[in-house]
Amino acid sequence: MLSSKRLRVTAFTMGALLLAAGCGSGDGGGDKTELKLYNDKGAWKPFFEQMAVLGEQQTGLGMKPVGYTDEPTYTAFIKSSFRTNVKPDLFTWTTGGRLKEIVEQNQVAETTKLWQDAIQSGDLTEELKTYYTVDGKQYCVPLNTAYWGMFYNKKLFAKHDLKPPKTWAELEKLAQTLKSKGQVPFNQTTPTSLFSFAWFEQLLAGSDPDLYDRLSKGEASYTDPGVVKVMERWKSMIDAGYFTKPGDKADPADHFKSGEAAMVINGTWFNTSMTQRGLKQGEDYGFFFIPNVDPSLQKRSLIFESGPLCSLRKAPDPDASMKYLKWWITPAAQEKWANARGDVSGNPKVKVADPELDKVTKEAASNENRLILRYFEAAPAPVLTEALSGFDKFLNEPGSYMDVLKNIQKVNEDYWKSQKGGS
Amino acid sequence: MRERNGGLRAGAVNRTVRRAVLAVLGVVWLFPTYLIVANAVRPADDYDPADSVSPPSSIGLFDNIAQAWEQTAVGGSLLSTLLYSVVSPALAVLLGALAGYAIVVLRLKHGFTWFVVIFAGTVVPFQMLLVPLFVGYSKVALYDDRLGLILIYSAINVPLAALVMRNFFGNVAVSIFEAARLDGASTFRIFWRIYLPLSSAALAAVFILEFTFVWNDLLFGLTLSQSENVRPVWAELSALTTDVYAGTPVPIALAAGLVVSLPTVVLFLATQRLFTRGLTLAQF
Amino acid sequence: MSTHKATADRPAPAVARGHRPGTGRRGTRGGRPGKGFALHGRFRHVYISPAVLFVAVLLYLPFLWTAYLSFTSYDGLASPEFTGLDNYRRLLEDEALLTSIRNTLLWVVGTVALPVGGGLLVAVLSYDVRGGGWFRLPFLLPYAMSGAGLGVIWGFILQPDGMANQILTTLGMPGGDTAFLQDGPRNTLAMIVVWTWQQLGVNMLLFVVGLQSIPKGPIEAARIDGASGWSMFRHVTWPLMRPITTVVLGLALVAGLKNFDIVWVMTQGGPGRSSETLAVTMYRDVFVANEYGYGSAVAILLTTITGLASYVYLRRQIGKEDAS
Repeated sequence: MLSSKRLRVTAFTMGALLLAAGCGSGDGGGDKTELKLYNDKGAWKPFFEQMAVLGEQQTGLGMKPVGYTDEPTYTAFIKSSFRTNVKPDLFTWTTGGRLKEIVEQNQVAETTKLWQDAIQSGDLTEELKTYYTVDGKQYCVPLNTAYWGMFYNKKLFAKHDLKPPKTWAELEKLAQTLKSKGQVPFNQTTPTSLFSFAWFEQLLAGSDPDLYDRLSKGEASYTDPGVVKVMERWKSMIDAGYFTKPGDKADPADHFKSGEAAMVINGTWFNTSMTQRGLKQGEDYGFFFIPNVDPSLQKRSLIFESGPLCSLRKAPDPDASMKYLKWWITPAAQEKWANARGDVSGNPKVKVADPELDKVTKEAASNENRLILRYFEAAPAPVLTEALSGFDKFLNEPGSYMDVLKNIQKVNEDYWKSQKGGS
Repeated sequence: MRERNGGLRAGAVNRTVRRAVLAVLGVVWLFPTYLIVANAVRPADDYDPADSVSPPSSIGLFDNIAQAWEQTAVGGSLLSTLLYSVVSPALAVLLGALAGYAIVVLRLKHGFTWFVVIFAGTVVPFQMLLVPLFVGYSKVALYDDRLGLILIYSAINVPLAALVMRNFFGNVAVSIFEAARLDGASTFRIFWRIYLPLSSAALAAVFILEFTFVWNDLLFGLTLSQSENVRPVWAELSALTTDVYAGTPVPIALAAGLVVSLPTVVLFLATQRLFTRGLTLAQF
Repeated sequence: MSTHKATADRPAPAVARGHRPGTGRRGTRGGRPGKGFALHGRFRHVYISPAVLFVAVLLYLPFLWTAYLSFTSYDGLASPEFTGLDNYRRLLEDEALLTSIRNTLLWVVGTVALPVGGGLLVAVLSYDVRGGGWFRLPFLLPYAMSGAGLGVIWGFILQPDGMANQILTTLGMPGGDTAFLQDGPRNTLAMIVVWTWQQLGVNMLLFVVGLQSIPKGPIEAARIDGASGWSMFRHVTWPLMRPITTVVLGLALVAGLKNFDIVWVMTQGGPGRSSETLAVTMYRDVFVANEYGYGSAVAILLTTITGLASYVYLRRQIGKEDAS
C-alpha cells in the first residue's frame, strides 16, 4: 500500500510539474472564518445557506455547504478524505454502524461535554443520546431529526368520512373502506428502491420491537418466525390490493397534488416535497403516527431517523468546528432550521411555526413512544444493500419473500461473522 | 443512355422514400424530446404525472428556471464548465491526433501496441478511479483546482480521439506526406498544415462528442472539487434532479436541465454545416 | 503482443489505401536510416508520448489501486487486509454475477444492433439527400440534451400504466399491461431502447463523417459500371467505410460492456438485482455495500473482459495494417 501510494504521489507530482501546475486548494488550516459543511443533501443548499447567515451573526463563523446527491459517492468521499489533507470542517453522516465505524478509526471529534450541557439545558434528550454514543462517549450532534409516519390526503378522508386511525385494526378497516370505494389506500414511498424497507420496519417494529433491535445487532436471523410473519402480513396487504403498483416513477407528492393518493409512509422531511407543490398541512394533507400492529405493546413504536453533523479530531480548525456544532443545537438555530425546511425539530423546546408540525414535534417527544432507529441506519451497509434490493424484488414478486429473507440472512450471517473474526 | 435515365428516375423515387423513412423515424425520435420540452415549459403548479403528454396551457418556463437558479449556484459554475468542455476536448483531440499521426503516418515501431496502450484507457471503469484520484489529487494540491479537472477530462478523452484520428489519417494518401517531406517540410509542419485541416470533419465530430461528454459529467466534477467556481454545472444541478430529499417538482428540474443543455444543442446546430457532403478533402 | 506476424495474411488492400507502400515498416523509403535524412522524422516518440503519459498517469495509475484492492478485504476505512484470491473465489460462487454477465452481454449485442445499426441506416439514408442535416437533427437532440431529464421522461414512458402501455392499448396491440422495467431481462431490453434513443445520433454522426471521407474515385467508377442502390452500398461504399466502422463498433463494444449510467438512473439495477450490469454490480459492491475488495475484483473482471474483447476486435480490424 505504501509503495503504491508513493508511486501515485510521484506520478501526480510529475504530471503536475510537467504542466507547470500551481495553485493549491487553499484550505490551509488555523483560524478559520468560514467552515465548509459537506453534506449528502445537495437539495438542502438554500436551507443551509439560510443557516449560514444566522450562524455568522451569532457565532462570527461563516459556513458554506458542499452538497452531494449520490449517497454512496458521498460516503466514499468522506471516508477517503480521512487519509488526505483535504478534511471537511463539518460533515453530515448517519448514525448506527456507519458512525461506529468512523469513530473506531479515531477520526471523529468527541462531543461528550457538549451533550452533557445540552441535556442539562434541555436542548438535547437522553433518548437521542443513545444513538450518538459509541463506547460510552458521544460524537457529533443531530443535524436533523425526522419521524416516520403516515401522510394522508385530508380531502379524500373527508369525502369518505374517514379519520386517522388509533389502532392497527382501525388502520386495516380504513384501508378496506378505501379499497372498496375504488381507491388504492397506500402509495409506494419513493420511485426508487431507496426506501423499500419502509413497511418492513414499520410492521416489524409495530409487532416486535425487541426482535427489530436484535436483528440490527446481528443477534437474530432474518428467517426468524417473527420476521417471516411480518413478511406474510405485508404480502397479504399487497395481495389485498392496498398498494399502488411498484415502479411508479412519480414523486408521491405529485399524486397527492393531483388528489389520487390517499396515504403514504414517509419521514417528516417529506413535508418539504408537499410544500414545494403548494400543498398545506392541515388543509390538504395530514400526518399521523402509525399505531402498533400488536396492541399489547406498552409503547408506540415510533420510527425515527437522526442525521449527525460531525467534525473531525484533525479538522482544519477543531475549535471553530466545535463552536459551530454547539451553536447548531441551540434553540435559535434549531428553530430556523426546522422552519426553513418546514420540518419538525428534534428539540422539543423549539417553537415550530406551523401549528400542525408543532403538534407532531410535541407528540413525538412524549414518553408514550418508543423510538426505533430507522432501518437505513440500523442495518449494516452490506445487509442494507441486500435488503433494499430484496424488498424491491418482493414488492414486484410478493411470493418470493422466503427467498428474499434467506438471501438477506446469508449476507447478514457473513457480515456478523466477519465482524467477530476481524476486528 | 436509357439505362442511365432509368437509374436517375429510380434515384429520385429512392430519395423520396428515404426522406419519408427519415421523417417517420425522426418524429418517433422527437416524441420523448417533446415530453422533456413540454414539461419543462409547463408551470410547476399545473404538472400532473398522469397527464404529461398534453401541451402546456401556459408558459411557466421562466418561473421554473428562476426557481431552479434560486436553489442552486449554477451561474457560478457555468464559466468553469465551459472552460473544461472546451480546453479538455481540444487538448485530447490534439494529443489523440498526434498519437494517430505518429502511428499511421510516421509509422512508429510497434505502432499497434502503442495504440492499444492508449485505447485501453477507455476500458478502465471510471467509477473505480474516483477514490484514488481524489486521494492523489489531494496530495498534489489538485483537489478543487480547475487544472485537476482539465487533466482528468483530457485523459479520459484521449483514447476516443486517438482511435478516430488514427483511422482517419490512414485515408490520406501517403504520397502527400512523402512529397512534402522531400520538399523539406518538417514532420510537425506536415501534421499541422496538411493532416489536421484534411481531417476537419473528424476533428469536429470528436470535439463535439467530447465537449458533450465533459459538459454533462457528474462523476468527476462532484468528487474532485468543492467550490462553486470550480465545480462543473451538473454537480450543482444534480441536487435538483436526483435528490430524494429535495422533492423538486418535475418541471423545475426539467427546465433547469433543458437550459443547461442549450450550449451543447447550439454546438450541434452550429456544426451541422461541417457534416454535409464534400467539405472534406480527404479523398486525395 | 506481436505486431509482426500478420504480414502474410494482410488483406488485399481496400481501394482507399491502395497507395500505401506495401512493405518497409520502418518506413525508410525516402532515405536510408542512419544517414542525414529520415523520411518519417527522428523524434516520433515525442508525438505519441503526451497521449500515453496522460492515459498512464491519470487512468492506469489510479486503477492499480483497484487491482491491489481486489486481493484484499477493505471497507474504505481501516487498512486493507490481504486475503489472496478470496474475492476471486467468491466471484465464482456469486449468482447475482451471472445475471450481470447475461445483462452485460445483452447490452453489447443490443448496442451493436440498435444504436450502431440504426445510426448507419440514418447516416446512409440522409447522406446525400438535400436538407439531410435537418433530417438528422431529431437524432442528435437526445444526445445533445443528454443531461436533461432522460430518466424522468423515460420513467414516465415505461412505468406501469405509463405512456408505452397507453400507446399499445390505443393501437389495440398486446402488451398494454406490460411492466417494462419491473422484471428481467425485459427491463434490460427496455433500457436498450432508451439507450438507442440517446446514442443513435452519435453513431450516425461518426458514420456521416466516414461517408464524407470516402474517396470519390471508386464511387464514380462503380457508378459508371452501373452500380447503384443496395449493390453500390454493399460492394463499394461499405468496404470503403471500414475505418469508421472500426471506430464505431470499437466504441460500441466498450460502451456496451461498461454500461452504467442509464441503468443507474432508471432502475439502479433492480428490482431485486435483475437489471444489473457488471459495472452496476461493481459500483453497488464497492460504494453501496462498502465491500471495496470484492467490488474491485468485479472491476478487474469487467476490465479484463472489456480489454480482451476490444483487443481481439482491434487486432482483427487494424492490427494487421500496422503490423505490415
